[in-house]
Amino acid sequence: MDPDPVYYVDLTLNGLIFGAMYALMAIGLTLVYGLLRILHIAHAAVYAFGAFITVIVANATGSIALGIVVAIVASALLGPAIYRLLYEPLLKHPPYVAMIASMGLLIFMEDGFRILFGEQGLTFTRNPYPTEIHQLFGVTINTVQIAMIVLSVVCLTALALFTTRTRVGVAWRATVSNPTIATSFGVDAIKVRYLNFMIGSALAALAGALIALLNNFVEPSMGFVVSYKALAIIVLGGLGSMRGTLIASLALGLVESFGTILVGSYLDRDALAFLFLIIVLMVRPQGLTGARA
Amino acid sequence: MLRLENMSCGYGPVRAVTDVSFELPDKSALALLGPNGAGKTSTIMAIMGHTAVQGGRILFNGEDITHVPPVRRVDLGIALVPEGRRLFTDLTVEENLTVGGYHLSTRNDAANRARVYDLFPRLSDRRKQISGSLSGGEQQMLAMGRALMAEPKLLLIDELSLGLMPKMVDQCFAALATLRAQGVTILLVEQNTTRALDFAEHVCVMTSGSLAFSGTSQQAKQDENLFDVFVSAGHE
Repeated sequence: MDPDPVYYVDLTLNGLIFGAMYALMAIGLTLVYGLLRILHIAHAAVYAFGAFITVIVANATGSIALGIVVAIVASALLGPAIYRLLYEPLLKHPPYVAMIASMGLLIFMEDGFRILFGEQGLTFTRNPYPTEIHQLFGVTINTVQIAMIVLSVVCLTALALFTTRTRVGVAWRATVSNPTIATSFGVDAIKVRYLNFMIGSALAALAGALIALLNNFVEPSMGFVVSYKALAIIVLGGLGSMRGTLIASLALGLVESFGTILVGSYLDRDALAFLFLIIVLMVRPQGLTGARA
Repeated sequence: MLRLENMSCGYGPVRAVTDVSFELPDKSALALLGPNGAGKTSTIMAIMGHTAVQGGRILFNGEDITHVPPVRRVDLGIALVPEGRRLFTDLTVEENLTVGGYHLSTRNDAANRARVYDLFPRLSDRRKQISGSLSGGEQQMLAMGRALMAEPKLLLIDELSLGLMPKMVDQCFAALATLRAQGVTILLVEQNTTRALDFAEHVCVMTSGSLAFSGTSQQAKQDENLFDVFVSAGHE
């Protein structure tokens, strides 16, 4: 094994970058759970949807930036539509009904991508960014990774500011905490749900677009593994907690990054997430940060 | 100010409250008493619009509000201090107050906050603290403060003293007396009967979902049967 300390800095950076992508993906999921007690498994399909739209629009127009913007806007509309058409009619039933419907939608959308865009997936016709290598403080990093860091920090900071510094944001968190009482004080819980699906889906689409750029490839089932990981993350983070989700995401990114090197010959990268989940839940059943009863 | 006319309410096929009528005049205080499961909380939550009304009417300032959606009732001037406080436990003290005054936007926000901190100086010291980490008494103060932020004309309080130390109970009742003096009408559900009768001039007693007594607290104190209501219910 390479004893060079820069090697570990590289691993850490990589872990944090993946963690940031998991966070963008998982925050929407944890918020939906907090608000509706539904495991929004189809969130992974929104992520894949964002990735496909980015590639298609980028290839059609020649502008990757435009592709990302269109993907975010389209997903911000798709998310609320999923709530309105799929979940709202099912709210009077126990939460597992909506969860099963959500799984169904994930499979439906995956197969939809397969029929529309082919089993093989799509690539960007022109995407120089993953191969643009930079040396920053001795660390090797490509342009997409830089974009991942900058955009996730900007988005998550904006989200944090929105939810703590604005009245609507505070009301949103209040609704996640106690919808009935928030309603009693004039917070419209239905609007909060739409806002929730809009923002969560936009973030998932951004993650999908960035992963598509990094791999220079999108394929129909790209959401599947990520959906399992995101579920593991929101459990680790203490269901419904944004801060917990962020910490769990970064922790999982790091565990995967180091784990692949240390035990990669015995365990697949994707299996590590579940090993991590099992170990954490054995030691801290309330999640990494949760103090909730 | 508030009038219930033969109001029945419940949850789905289950009826929690049957045919309850009472009136709460402007600037008065009414204590709603009765054993556990008598339907007091269901009645309060029906006034807030959270329990489905199955019969009768709820009038507020002469207007039939039976079918006004829950989210609009705070605009009428009704605010709730719910059973078990039910604070937004991951939010700070300040943020809980923000939600309390949400329907007013930023109008009077600073003045209302000052009023709450004036009434409960302990909260003022804990503005940035996560509300879930407050003591029971502080949580009750915050639940009252949150309701005050809504500038209520009618304050619904469900179990003010439950689980609080006697000193905290004193402080909460003192705050309530101040609010009354400021002209807030109060509907109080309370298991501490003596305290409630001393505070409110009107009393309603409920047992198993219907009204067993309605009158002034003077009458209630002299009514021997009322004592039996609690004792017999306690032995059921």
